[in-house]
Amino acid sequence: MGYVRANIFYEREQWKKPVLLSVGFHGVLVLAIIVWGFAMQSHSTANDWGIKQGDAVTAQLVSASIPIPKTEQSDNIVANENKGVTQTQPEAKPVEKPPDDAVPIQGKVKPQKIEKPVQQAHVTAPPRPVPTPETAVPYGEGGPVSGPYGSVTTANYKGGFSFQNADFGGKYGWYVDGVKRRVQQNWLTYEIDPRIKAPHRAFIEFDITRDGSPSNVRLAQSSGVPSLDQSAMRAIQRIDSFGKLPEGNSVTVDFWFDYPPK
Amino acid sequence: MVKAKTIAVTKLCFMTLTVLCGFLSAAAQDRIKIELNMGQERPRIAVPDFKAANADPQTAPLNTVFNQTLWNDLDNAGIFDLVAKSFYPSQQPGQPQELQAKAWGDPPPNAGVITFGNLGVNNGKVDVQGWLYDVKNPGAPQILGKQYKEDATPDMARVIAHRFADEIIARLGSGIAGIAESQIYFVSTRSGNKEIWSMDYDGANQKQVTKLGSIALSPRISPDGSRLAYSGLTRDSWQIMMYSMDLGRTVAFPRNAGDNFSPAWASDGTKIAFASSMHSGRSEIFVADANGGGARRLSTGKGDVSPVFNPKTNGQIAWVSGRTGLPQIYVMDADGSNVQRMTDQGYAVSPAWSPNGLLLAFAWVRNYGPGVLGGSDIYLMDIASRQIIQLTHDGGRNDFPSWSPDGRHIVFQSNRTGNEQIWSVLADGTHLQQLTRQGRNSQPNWSFK
Repeated sequence: MGYVRANIFYEREQWKKPVLLSVGFHGVLVLAIIVWGFAMQSHSTANDWGIKQGDAVTAQLVSASIPIPKTEQSDNIVANENKGVTQTQPEAKPVEKPPDDAVPIQGKVKPQKIEKPVQQAHVTAPPRPVPTPETAVPYGEGGPVSGPYGSVTTANYKGGFSFQNADFGGKYGWYVDGVKRRVQQNWLTYEIDPRIKAPHRAFIEFDITRDGSPSNVRLAQSSGVPSLDQSAMRAIQRIDSFGKLPEGNSVTVDFWFDYPPK
Repeated sequence: MVKAKTIAVTKLCFMTLTVLCGFLSAAAQDRIKIELNMGQERPRIAVPDFKAANADPQTAPLNTVFNQTLWNDLDNAGIFDLVAKSFYPSQQPGQPQELQAKAWGDPPPNAGVITFGNLGVNNGKVDVQGWLYDVKNPGAPQILGKQYKEDATPDMARVIAHRFADEIIARLGSGIAGIAESQIYFVSTRSGNKEIWSMDYDGANQKQVTKLGSIALSPRISPDGSRLAYSGLTRDSWQIMMYSMDLGRTVAFPRNAGDNFSPAWASDGTKIAFASSMHSGRSEIFVADANGGGARRLSTGKGDVSPVFNPKTNGQIAWVSGRTGLPQIYVMDADGSNVQRMTDQGYAVSPAWSPNGLLLAFAWVRNYGPGVLGGSDIYLMDIASRQIIQLTHDGGRNDFPSWSPDGRHIVFQSNRTGNEQIWSVLADGTHLQQLTRQGRNSQPNWSFK
């Protein structure tokens, strides 16, 4: 019995050492992990996970509208997407008539029913056809709506004018064209510093009153070149009248002056 | 990243603001945007002959006069490109219903605007209907529609054409009125001695005005066209004289001691400047009221003549002075102060101030002296920059320039055909034409309107 007991004790002694060793090693391991963890924290942040070194990610806010390519208005009727002013209906297909000498197949062709005339209490006149105005643009053949006489583009003259509200320019293209010509004639470019080489643009704003005189001339945006700004202002101030307004009491004009001309 | 976000937000705010501003201003009034750089084209106008409205025998000849006058007026205006008649479609309109805008707007005519109409004689009266259409703007094509009724004479047909042309130019000339109804006054010898004559701006309708019987020179019509000032030779001296266009006779005007020459009106009609030797026996510049009273001396030089007001401001006077030897052009304020010499060589005379006040036209022998080449020519000077442009070239002796009321034309005297005649030219030197052919004619003066 004693032998057995001794045997048991012996075995217990054999367990103790590996258990202590194991505990010691685990302790060291945990310690090592903690130390390593602290050591790495100094040069890495939690946000950088999954990123290769040397790359950068930039997040851009999507702007309010998705940029859609602008449709180019062309004066060419064929290339123009403008639908014009009036609509033309597609022509109705003529009903195919059987030839006069055709023999009807029995049973296939139903005899035409003779409709009984229905007596109507009120006979309404058919709607009168509205005559198409001569000046109407046929469907699909219209030019640019706001492109009347005067908006012609030449090699030297780029752009033109755009209009807000009331379609003044669309209706009175000849007047707008006259304004452009008159300012052009009164713009003395020799007043501008001749050393300017890079293109500059000055924005001038003014009102045309009912009698055609310019008023309230103001520099909307400077070109950065004082002599250009001043020559542009003077060009307007030199003019007494653009001619009586064809309509309305006042019209505001935005003018921009490019120098040297593109 | 933060930066990008800020920019985007700013952009959005700006866009909203712009849109908002746009709506606000759009609600307030019309708005035009115009881009300007060099290069511009003139309106391309088609002028088909007006149609005969009926078969009256007088209709055809009057229509010919009318069509010719209208074409010339628009051509002379200097602001249009007239489409040559060979490009016109075969169908020519006499009424708006007959107008095929597309045929005129497309090449080959490629017109921007078209004027058309009809003329007919009924019971001794000529009836003219005229329209101006923008053929490239089918939405609102009509710019102008007019109707005239006058006595059926060639003169009245011409007057109607002038009026209609001026209406067209008033619309398309962007604020500068036409000159088709203006007059030119000049000195002519065709009655035997030098008298003042008048004519239409195109040389038609030449009539004698004064019947002084001695010598009448330097006519100057008043701004309202009612009176004509000129210098006339009396028994003992030269005096400023006044002719009333309304009364048709010379009216009283105070006489001064010595010789008095070259009157000039202020553009408001309240003052007359002239040269007089009443003070020192040598010619000096004086300014008097329109009735000749209250003459004040402005210059103290010797040999000061030919004053002319700056018609834009009436605040300056240009004149000719021989104070340094040969005559030169000078400018001073209307009170006689701030005298500036404008030309520095040669022989410069006859200043004429442009209606916009920017340019001075004058006759100049640039290199004056014995054996030096070059005659007297008309020059333009930009007063602010003193830049000089030569207007006439190699054409005899040119003198006495006078500006048209629109500032686009200059009338002058030239002996390029052998003897002195009146010529007119666009201020850019083109469109030179001879206006008079009978007798010897000189010293033209273009009316103020």
